[in-house]
Amino acid sequence: MEIELQEIADFVSTVHPFENLPQAIIEQLIKKMTIRYVRRGTALALEPDNEGRLYLLRKGAVILLSQQKKLLGKLGEGDICTAFCQLQKKIEFSIHVDEDTLLYSISCQVLSTILQNHPEELSYLQETSTQRLNRKMKTMEEKNNLALSLMQTSLSNVMHPTVITAEINISIHDAAIVMANKNVSSLIILQDGQAVGILTDKDITKRCVAGNVPVSNPVEHIMTARLISVSGDISAFDAMMIMTRQHIRHLPIIDNQQLNGIISISDFLRMEGRNSIYITNAIKKADSIEEIQEYCQTIPQLQLQLVNMGATADHLAKIITAISTTVTRRLIELAEIKLGAAPVPYAWLAAGSHARREQSSHSDQDNALIISDQTSQEDTQWFTALAQFVCDGLNQCGYVYCPGEVMASNIKWRQPAKKWTEYFTNWITTPSPKALMYSSIFFDLRCISGDCRLIDDVRQKMLKLSPNNNLFLAHLTFNALKLKPPLGFFRDFVLIHDGKHNDTLDLKHNGLAPIVDLARIYALAEGIEEVSTIERLKKVSGSQSLSRESADNLLDAFEFIGNLRVKHQAQQINIGINADNFMAPVEISKLERSHLKDSFKVIQNLQTYVEKRYALA
Amino acid sequence: MFSQWFGYEAKRKRLLAKAPPGPLKEYLSVPFPDPATRLNQTPILALDFETTGLDAKTDQILSVGHITIESFEILLASAYHQIICTRGDLKEESVVIHQITDDTKSSGQGAEEVIEKLLQAMAGKVILVHFAQIEKNFLQYTCKKLYGMAPVFPIIDTLVLARKRLDQRTALYSPNDLRLFNLRENFQLPRYRAHNALSDALATAELFLAEIELKQQMKSPRLKSVIL
Repeated sequence: MEIELQEIADFVSTVHPFENLPQAIIEQLIKKMTIRYVRRGTALALEPDNEGRLYLLRKGAVILLSQQKKLLGKLGEGDICTAFCQLQKKIEFSIHVDEDTLLYSISCQVLSTILQNHPEELSYLQETSTQRLNRKMKTMEEKNNLALSLMQTSLSNVMHPTVITAEINISIHDAAIVMANKNVSSLIILQDGQAVGILTDKDITKRCVAGNVPVSNPVEHIMTARLISVSGDISAFDAMMIMTRQHIRHLPIIDNQQLNGIISISDFLRMEGRNSIYITNAIKKADSIEEIQEYCQTIPQLQLQLVNMGATADHLAKIITAISTTVTRRLIELAEIKLGAAPVPYAWLAAGSHARREQSSHSDQDNALIISDQTSQEDTQWFTALAQFVCDGLNQCGYVYCPGEVMASNIKWRQPAKKWTEYFTNWITTPSPKALMYSSIFFDLRCISGDCRLIDDVRQKMLKLSPNNNLFLAHLTFNALKLKPPLGFFRDFVLIHDGKHNDTLDLKHNGLAPIVDLARIYALAEGIEEVSTIERLKKVSGSQSLSRESADNLLDAFEFIGNLRVKHQAQQINIGINADNFMAPVEISKLERSHLKDSFKVIQNLQTYVEKRYALA
Repeated sequence: MFSQWFGYEAKRKRLLAKAPPGPLKEYLSVPFPDPATRLNQTPILALDFETTGLDAKTDQILSVGHITIESFEILLASAYHQIICTRGDLKEESVVIHQITDDTKSSGQGAEEVIEKLLQAMAGKVILVHFAQIEKNFLQYTCKKLYGMAPVFPIIDTLVLARKRLDQRTALYSPNDLRLFNLRENFQLPRYRAHNALSDALATAELFLAEIELKQQMKSPRLKSVIL
């Protein structure tokens, strides 16, 4: 190539997906390019012979308009229009020149010949946004698989393969000697070669010594007989989550009735350092709000650590949410210590992101209280005090008060079961957009503590009503569609629907929330009780509401945007500022921008679809 | 009638009859585009020279760059650049501008060879230049030396196009506004390295497309409306 065309080569090399192509290929591409200049205000006439071309904007700006003249996107310097090279060609838009534009172009056919040995770049140019997103998520998963982390390590790789065991008829004393000699804190108890229980040093102190049981008694008297075990092929992370949830410190690994190994919490502590289990355990033992608060301050650090370990957004959210649950439970325990036992059964409920297990650090609190219908006027004081104590405590620990007052401290959301049934029945059978705007958060509800049957009953009734109520679903949809993903990026701005620009991208409201809202609509339409977005989407996948393919696409988009948020927040924590959801386009690499754009497209398509399906007549 | 006798085409035919056999005669044997041709159907060659100085009689062409425009599209495949191994040493004040050193130039091709190729590229096309005087004078003078005869070429000059456009407005402008760089700035065209023959030819080609877009009404203007 003429060295004088270097400026053009330099430019083309900055355009995604050409960044990593060798110079020789760039030179070949340039040789086949042509340059056009188009004036502002004209519609771009495309090739009369209908030969597909790839367009690169060197200067200026063009807008893409749908057949209904709706703005679909805007391209500026360094942007590329691949639509005409897509193999599944379906051009449903026209290009209008918004600023005087210098346009480079190359025939798609020539392009595919030159790029024949660069399949990744070529498929980027030939695929639709949905196809690209799917591929991106696949390669990301592959990369993560290589990273050594709890998520990607199977339990069998980290467990202790030698398990110290004892027969069921051994005395507590002899068992203690075995444990001391082998220097272990647990013993698996066997009967006829099968593991039937577990004895831990804690059992000996609590149930034997403190419980005044003679050490000559058989271990059977103090062991835990309800043995929780797992298979060795689950991930180390999942094992850790089971232990956190079940409050156990030792977990035997049993495959096909064969005792293959054991793992303890301290093994994870070793692996992960100051980890979530450590924090959760410490919170469980905390005696004051101040103490809990102290542990909560380490959450951002933990978040950072997990991101560095390669945690995905989903895993991270589950850990952060597990901590929130522990904090809430401990606050309730502290309240009950202070106030005495509850006068009637009740359940503490988490709403919103806590219920969906999608929290990040710095989430605010959304909660409610459901009280048994046996309650009477005298109980009011106790429940008011409980709610106030827990909500204040959460606020002090960094879960700030909900600006919309969706909190148990609000009398409206501290009600007996029959009142809750009435609420849900009203929301569903006589829906009004405004009422639903405030209440949609209660369709994501999880029982945190207390008598969970109270809410289960209400939920069952609710899920019977919702699928058949199109007006309710229509109002829910109407509200959900208020949050839309942006159209894309234009220069270093975020392009939003009316053609205006934002300086930053709100990953939560313009990315994740629209997917959360869609998943809620699908779940309620199908009468599915899952509340987490990922579980909802997996469950409705292939149903009338959502095709399997669309579900996969939404899951990809949710994961991609979530992971981007995790990365963004980790960077903020790293430099010592509060994590937020606002990302400036300059922070977003060209590659990420293009995947984000693909994710937006997936959301847009499905939003349009539900809009049509549940159109308000 | 008039253009038939005094226009480019008439002149070409007269010169063709007298031209000695060789590259110049071959160039002259290809008809020029009809002045009535629409510009979007006119083959155009954007051309730029770097020279050892400004006087065609004493200075020489040092490098040639050109690129073709067809149907208002610049074909990057046609990009051409060649340095000529000129006689004598280069003057410091010109090296500062075009940055071609004596060493670079010594690896260039001979003037005769380069001009022959240039005439082949020009045949049947309209030449597009910014400030045509230099290219016109140098090419005519060089041909006269090489073939004993100066040829004729139909030329579009972007400087003249811009001047005509600016003259129609009431606002005053300075001669500086007519420089290639400044005109391109006005059209928000990208910045290229100046004083390289191919970069400048490309820069001129883009400027031409921008100028023509301004003139473009329902139909593309005819060649005769822009030719010198």
